[in-house]
Amino acid sequence: MDLFKEMAKAVIEGDEEQTVSLAKEALAKGVDPTEAIEKGFAEGMKEIGRLFETLEIFLPQVIISAEAMTAGVEIFRHYLLGKEGDIPKKTVLLGTIQGDVHDIGKNIVKIMLESNGFKVYDLGRDVPVSNFIEKVKELNPDLIGVSALMTTTMVHMPKLMEALQESGLRTKVKIMLGGAPVLPEWAKKIGADGYGESAMEAVRVAKRLVGLQGEGKGDKA
Amino acid sequence: MRDHGKFFDFLEVIKRAESGEILKEADFDKKLGKKALALMKQYEIRYHPESVIPLDDGLADRVYQAAVDLFLDLGVYCTDTQRVMRFTKEELQWALENVPRDVQYGREEETVSVYPRKVEDPRDPICFFSAVGTPVTEEMFLPVARSYAQEPLADTFSGPLITSYKGIPVTSGSPIEVEAAIWNTQMLREAARQSGRPHIGIHNFQSTGEKTDATIASAQEGFGAFPGDGLFVAAIAEMKVDFERLKKVAFLRQSPYVLGALYGPLMGGYAGGPEGTAIALVAHHFLGLLGFSAERHNSFPIHIHHVCNTVREMLWLISIVGQALARNTHLIIVSNAFMASGPCTDMVIDELCAHSLTSTISGWHLNPSAVVKNRYPMRCSGMEPRIHAEVGHQVTKMGFTRREANQIVLKLIEGYEKRIPEAPIGKMFHECYQMDKIRPTDEYESLFAKKKKEWRELGFEVS
Repeated sequence: MDLFKEMAKAVIEGDEEQTVSLAKEALAKGVDPTEAIEKGFAEGMKEIGRLFETLEIFLPQVIISAEAMTAGVEIFRHYLLGKEGDIPKKTVLLGTIQGDVHDIGKNIVKIMLESNGFKVYDLGRDVPVSNFIEKVKELNPDLIGVSALMTTTMVHMPKLMEALQESGLRTKVKIMLGGAPVLPEWAKKIGADGYGESAMEAVRVAKRLVGLQGEGKGDKA
Repeated sequence: MRDHGKFFDFLEVIKRAESGEILKEADFDKKLGKKALALMKQYEIRYHPESVIPLDDGLADRVYQAAVDLFLDLGVYCTDTQRVMRFTKEELQWALENVPRDVQYGREEETVSVYPRKVEDPRDPICFFSAVGTPVTEEMFLPVARSYAQEPLADTFSGPLITSYKGIPVTSGSPIEVEAAIWNTQMLREAARQSGRPHIGIHNFQSTGEKTDATIASAQEGFGAFPGDGLFVAAIAEMKVDFERLKKVAFLRQSPYVLGALYGPLMGGYAGGPEGTAIALVAHHFLGLLGFSAERHNSFPIHIHHVCNTVREMLWLISIVGQALARNTHLIIVSNAFMASGPCTDMVIDELCAHSLTSTISGWHLNPSAVVKNRYPMRCSGMEPRIHAEVGHQVTKMGFTRREANQIVLKLIEGYEKRIPEAPIGKMFHECYQMDKIRPTDEYESLFAKKKKEWRELGFEVS
């Protein structure tokens, strides 16, 4: 369908006016919103992901495209909410571990996850283990993504794993780790479900862990 | 007491962090990318893959002017207050004119004067041998640190870090961090003594402790940190600072230690590609000058996917930033080497050579080296900075031009760039060093000798 191609193109070009206009056009033509998102906007974002991975484009362009896609998706969301429905999304709780204020990597992962259809709850930087636990109870996410940039803060990651076990939440949520000093062997050793070396790798692993398509080399860390 | 007050009033920095424009952090990040892109177009700044070491002085000057514009327009973000600190052109100019032209490290026979270098400078670069905080075991800390301190071309040195102390994990913000930080300083000075160089400067005497309290606790002469040693304060992300870093500045400004600033923007990240990131990296030097009162400036720009700075666009970025600053300021600038591959591999030797050649010819001093992406425990040794420093000294000895250096660097890159994504992690310290003598193994020495022969074919003779 040409409309889907146009939707993908609008995302790639970061044209927010066009994504909004095309979403409205799709609704007017009676196209199923979920199909339009998957075959239109998401395909555009997939191409953006590919271009970012090969560095044919850089993060600012990814952000612009992601914002254009979000604007278009919002049109569908308003429509579905009016009909007492919504677009189902897998949810990720994201944060940089206690003591660590280096969150640029986590922020890039957030952008890429949102661009790939995840609902992300970003707890920010320097997040105490207890906050992760409280938020898991409150939001019931499908996945927790935790990052650390320093060896002195990555040691809080096993404490998070223990706290999840003790509170009976471990079996209810998947855990993915990342950050410069975090190696896949270490992630496996402390019992994490996945490990993402880069933002794009994190998306692939996240998809796999929540039962969507996609697989990364670190997903069985 | 050092006189840090003359570049800019630090109390004014604190005031501006508390009173500047309130802005959402995400909006600041977006503004950086947008502005860097606009300046890249306005000043016609273009990366060229065949001109890794650009010959165009005009390009270097345009990068510099674009960075001035970026800094004045964007300002510096304080994450604790979510405010933007702005500085005027006059304040920047005043600080640039009043920076020290000479910073000293070490004591007595080990005193080293560091000076601003120029493009194609015939003077040797100062070589700051550094393990860049590679994690090692407590038992291996001293031998690893010795392998750096003992090297004849090491003008100063710094060490690795430990992740557990007396069996207890070193955790940020806990008392054990303070204990381990003090031990870290003591062991570095011990490494200097055991290397027969008790007075050598330790340009960063704290790697294990990260929090300000742990860093300050370790800064005592009784532990081995003397006047003429130094510490670093880092920008936490692109053009951003926080109170934890500014607290270190408050201490260091009134301490006898050399205050160094660290900048590691991600190429491909918020500032965009090599051009935007080059503009942002130059602007970071103004952040360090005005925000931190830094006396020296260390840069480790990193490729967002490859996590190294030896690929083609990263070397271009390093060269053009060095040239921009060397041509337009008197700042003391130092280039941190980040390799993709690990110790005792042929690839790491070529990466070190390309990085050192590029940096030395472009006006930088040298800070070798982080290897294998600075993330694998026990994979570092004094041999890597030796290679890097020998190359740097040879560049000045041979009196290379940028054109000549560019030809050699291009050939080196061609040899390793395809292997970057799957770079070998190499050997651990005890596998590539003779532990009884703290000397590289014959294998590692032979590998370097073999590479020197290959480089001779390229027209680069390292004796």
